[in-house]
Amino acid sequence: MKVEYINHFLDAGVRVIVQLIGGEVELGQIAVRTAIFTTQQVSIAVGITGQLSGLVIYGMSQVTATKIASAIIGAQHVSFDAMAASAIGELGNIISGNATMLLAKSGLHCNITPPSVIRGINVEIATAMPALVIPLYSKCGKIEVNVALAESPTPPAVGVPTAEASPAYA
Amino acid sequence: MARILVADDAMFMRETIKKALLAGKHEVVGEADNGRTAVQQFKRTNPDLVLMDITMPQQDGLSAMTEILQGSPEARIVICSALGQEEKVMEAMAAGARDYVTKPFNADQLLAAVARALE
Repeated sequence: MKVEYINHFLDAGVRVIVQLIGGEVELGQIAVRTAIFTTQQVSIAVGITGQLSGLVIYGMSQVTATKIASAIIGAQHVSFDAMAASAIGELGNIISGNATMLLAKSGLHCNITPPSVIRGINVEIATAMPALVIPLYSKCGKIEVNVALAESPTPPAVGVPTAEASPAYA
Repeated sequence: MARILVADDAMFMRETIKKALLAGKHEVVGEADNGRTAVQQFKRTNPDLVLMDITMPQQDGLSAMTEILQGSPEARIVICSALGQEEKVMEAMAAGARDYVTKPFNADQLLAAVARALE
């Protein structure tokens, strides 16, 4: 996976977090995971489709998730309730959507799936590729950005014979 | 004051949009958390305007907008989406959207788009 892919998610993440939460955001050290799995209590999973395909997971502790939700909603939430989960999911949706804008400027046209909010650690999510992981340190706490993306196979041009029959393009 | 239908799969975003619309003296006549429900709610409420997200389960917002416009070509629909790439905006406008607001947005930006669409 090219590092530039994760850079677009980090750039979008910093911009959106500053806009929605305020304060400053600092980047941590990049790491590689051979499989993508949740390491935090609250994770937002967003699928990427199009010229790139894969998964992006934003992980954070429940304390951080509750603080972020309170900041976004504009009201103190003492528990991680349905509204807080919705706000956190929307954070992942907006960061990912803004990242696809940056990818489009690089010539990579992608869409996103609706976000899923996962609660619990060590939930392994099957992907066929390793994930690049970078923590973002916000005023509400650490948000771990896991990006597992690969370029999608280019479909053959219509009418061009291929070596193997492909029902997807039939 | 306009009667507005809000379609977004995120409860938080629907609440945020409703607060902004109420502050702008508009009435929210219905809500939908997916495109299919948005189409049903449009037929039921006949709103002056629809605020429509794109990325939603069951039926996405662009498909729902197309379906609404097929039955009601005069419908006024403003897209509110985290997807702000040029080709997505152009696709939505070509399909009949009156305006396009990229998330994150503030209440003033939303109300300005609503006002433009209602002109």
